[in-house]
Amino acid sequence: MYRYDEFDETLVRERAKQFRGQVERRLKGELKEEHFKPLRLQNGVYLQLHAYMLRVAIPYGQLNAKKMRQLAMIADVYDKGYAHFTTRQNVQYNWIKLADMPDVLDVLADVEMHAIQTSGNCIRNVTSDHLAGANLDEIEDPRPWCEIIRQWSTFHPEFSSLPRKFKIAVTAGETDRAAVRVHDIGLHMKKNADGKVGFEFIVGGGLGRTPFVGPTVREWVAKEDLLSYLEANMRVYNRHGRRDNKYKARIKILVSELGLEEYKRQVEEEFAAQNTWEKVVLPQEEIDRITAYFAPPKFETLPAVSAAFEAFKSASREQARWAKNNLRPHRTPGYTSVHIALKQQGEAPGDATSDQMRAMADIGERYGLDDIRVAHEQDVVLAHVRLDDVPAVYAALKAAGLHASNAGLGSDIIACPGLDYCNLSNARSISVANEIQAVFADPEFEDDVGTLHVNVSGCINACGHHHVGHIGILGVDKKGEEFYQVLFGGRADEKATIAAIQGPGLKHEEVAPAIRRVIDTYLSLRRDGGEKFIDTMSRVGQAPFKEALYAAA
Amino acid sequence: MSSERPKLGPDIPKVVTAWLSATGRVVYLTKDRNWSEDLADAEILTGVEANDILAWAAKDQTRVSDPYFMQVTADGKVAGRETIRETIRARGPTNHPMFGKQAGNN
Repeated sequence: MYRYDEFDETLVRERAKQFRGQVERRLKGELKEEHFKPLRLQNGVYLQLHAYMLRVAIPYGQLNAKKMRQLAMIADVYDKGYAHFTTRQNVQYNWIKLADMPDVLDVLADVEMHAIQTSGNCIRNVTSDHLAGANLDEIEDPRPWCEIIRQWSTFHPEFSSLPRKFKIAVTAGETDRAAVRVHDIGLHMKKNADGKVGFEFIVGGGLGRTPFVGPTVREWVAKEDLLSYLEANMRVYNRHGRRDNKYKARIKILVSELGLEEYKRQVEEEFAAQNTWEKVVLPQEEIDRITAYFAPPKFETLPAVSAAFEAFKSASREQARWAKNNLRPHRTPGYTSVHIALKQQGEAPGDATSDQMRAMADIGERYGLDDIRVAHEQDVVLAHVRLDDVPAVYAALKAAGLHASNAGLGSDIIACPGLDYCNLSNARSISVANEIQAVFADPEFEDDVGTLHVNVSGCINACGHHHVGHIGILGVDKKGEEFYQVLFGGRADEKATIAAIQGPGLKHEEVAPAIRRVIDTYLSLRRDGGEKFIDTMSRVGQAPFKEALYAAA
Repeated sequence: MSSERPKLGPDIPKVVTAWLSATGRVVYLTKDRNWSEDLADAEILTGVEANDILAWAAKDQTRVSDPYFMQVTADGKVAGRETIRETIRARGPTNHPMFGKQAGNN
């Protein structure tokens, strides 16, 4: 894991100190809200429905036990004992008093954390594959490059006042677990014809009001050109991105309106025109220095099969199910990655109590080589766990109420905070998500249905990624009543697809029964051999599912 | 943005609501120009004079942020097309009722 150097430390400490002064001036009335607002947003402080919300950056979702314990402490001391893990691999607190914010930034700095650039029209937290460095299919660990981009983009003067917020994701696996095609810039690490690793540049994807799957702007960019080519893209966006209409200000609109070829031409022109002194050429020693922080841990030499793990699976159906659904293959024999689904029935997706956070810290420290990740599905992952330790890990997770065996299944729902917390939302998300979870309350049934991504957003801003759910749910306001549009066929992986709205919205209480009918339709149509929901829908089309959706509405 | 609140005509009963600057708590403007966390304490406004009171509230920036009109019934209950939002705002999140004002958790 990356460790702060003296510059990082100074920068974060000074920023916290600066914000303390700004808060004091606000509380004394020396700063009006209209003047204070951009200052607080630059420090991740929003004013939400009930209180201030603080969004804390977790660069590419990477935590360790010390950081997780500090986040738990903040939940206890300054919040109400909860934290919310987000689709940006960050964490949010819903109840922190403004007067306490500077103290919170100080205690975050104590563990090399901050809230800088978690809001505002700047480059936000860089996200990545939560299985980086552990999975079977990546060509290289993408996290050093995420860290390089983080350092380059933090307080970059040219990109601190962009037309709109800007989100970058990096992945290096054949399977895209970072949703790179629905980011402002998605970077997919690939080899060129010479076998050299570089980056496919995917630009202009995104969700929200106008969703797009991003097109490829360049198939391969060399590592040494990464930052310069990023700058060329950012400059074209900064120059031509619309500032007159926030709904048309994201880079996806620019790429769409210019057309891909013209956008590419402008980027290439900008890239070629950069003066030598402007090129951000990364010294190899700096790349090596950062990469060293992400060196693989010292794995033990273990047999691929663990007797303890095999006995664990055989001991109960519950344990076998959890192992099947929540463990991911690891590149090192005798190891696995453990997916902790923060999706217990009836709980807000992505929420964890401070006790649960401490439990994850303890388990990660003791059994997971102190490597804890936040996944964009609002779950937590222990990337490196010995198969021999799985029984102990499961027992500890179960004791903490973190043993939901639903990773990647119907009740592992992505949902934004919705109208229960968010000042922008039109409708509640959590309650609808909980009712849909109840459809899958029978684990045998949920297992039978298999892989299914249900994503719920409370408004068109799409923080719940409804456009890329196999089933997406979008809350809308109709004359003061909550209604929910249903979308089918989205996906966020390497086959990224924007889901299609099916028709009129359903009432709150109609949603879960309708989803059950859709699932029953899938079960009646799927081919033998475990054809997945999304594959059945692709094969037969959406019509029978739509018919089922509205059958009794 | 959906955070923009609907415009309310002069005949519609309304209160002024905002957030306390220090804590972010939801508050309502009372007749004596103080801010209360209890909607029952709010002054119910009608007529064009209400705009003057909102303008006064907008200047009370040391104490509150972003005041706006919220529709109520003649006897001060949450009303209108924002009823769900304002009820949640007044009482607390529906998924964690123990955190909201409905639990007396101020």
